[in-house]
Amino acid sequence: MSNDRPLVLPGETIDLSLIPSHPKNPLRLGPGLRHIPPSDIVPTAAGELITNPVKNSMWVEYNSNRYIPSQNDIILAQILRSTSDFYLCSLAPHTPPATLPHLAFEGATKKTRPVLLPGQLVYARVSLANAHMDPELECVHASTGKADGLGPITGTGCIFDVSLGFARRLLMARPAQDGGLAVLEMLGGEEGGGMAFETAVGRNGRVWVGSASARTVVVVGRALQETDRGRLGVEGQRRLVKKLVREMS
Amino acid sequence: MTATTTPEATFGVLPRADGSARYSHAGYTVTGSVNGPIEAQRREEHAYEAHVDVVVRPAAGHGGTRERHLESVLQSSLAQIILVKSFPRSLIQIVLQVENSPENDYVNTKLVQASLNFGIMPALMQTAVLALLSAGVPMRATATGTAVAIMHQDGAKQTMVDPSPRDIEKARSVHVLAFTSQDELLLAESEGDFTVKEWDLVYETARGICCRSRPQAKEGMAMLLDDESTGGPDMRQFLRSTMESKVAADLHWK
Repeated sequence: MSNDRPLVLPGETIDLSLIPSHPKNPLRLGPGLRHIPPSDIVPTAAGELITNPVKNSMWVEYNSNRYIPSQNDIILAQILRSTSDFYLCSLAPHTPPATLPHLAFEGATKKTRPVLLPGQLVYARVSLANAHMDPELECVHASTGKADGLGPITGTGCIFDVSLGFARRLLMARPAQDGGLAVLEMLGGEEGGGMAFETAVGRNGRVWVGSASARTVVVVGRALQETDRGRLGVEGQRRLVKKLVREMS
Repeated sequence: MTATTTPEATFGVLPRADGSARYSHAGYTVTGSVNGPIEAQRREEHAYEAHVDVVVRPAAGHGGTRERHLESVLQSSLAQIILVKSFPRSLIQIVLQVENSPENDYVNTKLVQASLNFGIMPALMQTAVLALLSAGVPMRATATGTAVAIMHQDGAKQTMVDPSPRDIEKARSVHVLAFTSQDELLLAESEGDFTVKEWDLVYETARGICCRSRPQAKEGMAMLLDDESTGGPDMRQFLRSTMESKVAADLHWK
């Protein structure tokens, strides 16, 4: 464990020299930290403390399985049922349902609204996350009115559960460089024989894999789950992809 | 049955649970699982805080009055260190399954009046804390606990850390203490005859085990304290080193 990313446990005091200070930008606290007024910053989870002096932000990096909604997270939700004004969706098992207003879709009006059936998947953003209220979702950018890739998921595919840390790595801009995750590129590349598939990754630990061929869906889903559970490195991922492709062909 | 002197812990033994840990120390092995925050049933729902539900399952048979009592003691301690106010109307479920105890003390328990099982309390407490850390449940602090017995041998008083069931039977008084990582007393349960002076001695012994300062932060006074041999394992260092290996394994890609 390197010195610039120290281990913190809940309730420990953070060394003041580690807290980034920026003349203009306010300090931004990410997951795993809480601010006790006036000036205490205390970790609430066990993990590595990461600081970013450029963005003036800090957070605790850790892995877990239970999704706790927070604003602006991109998630995969499943429709449970519809009420007169909104859909009730599930983000994680055994949690209170999130609400998705009927009008929170691109181009939706009272006359033309998308009809979603129970069980259908939507790719959505958390627009409201508050301890005292059920979370609220949206499939449209509130200011621009554009969907930006959000909305109901269509096409044949299957959903796979992964850990939250793994979902976060998949959502990185460059998963191969930053997250040590090249399994999807390998499956679509020469190791996997150029499989054709698409994915949608939710911050709530769910990955949707879609493809015309059921075989591809199963191979990609299994590769993702085994990479997560086996904590495979890039070399391990290559071996896994080769093994899966050999077994399934 | 040989009692292990150093505590041991493994994480993620139950892959379906949100967090889990197996802990063994002083002959006790406990597996704990944590799920939460999840939706609470109507009767367990609090408007302003999460309900912490602790279930203790004995190694053999069904839980009885003893287990209910252990649960209530653990529940009130754990609710202090979990940030329950952040999750109103939800439930945090902690299940602790005793796998091994140094003696099969579930024989003839039906005849005995319900009383606290002091030997197992620190193990249950420690398992719950480790499982909570493994689940990433937001917490105010971590906690460490220990059991201390006062024995009278040849007219002299003696404190004994992590007593075996046989020692507890012979002991004049038995105490269980737990401290948070801010050195605050979290749990203090006592049984038997003892004076205030004896309790102070027990308090200092338990504090020495649970609240030893970190090696890199030792200076002046802490150095002096370190020189006296308190006996028993350094629980805080144990917690830190196990978490270190767990976090390193989770973040192997970094």
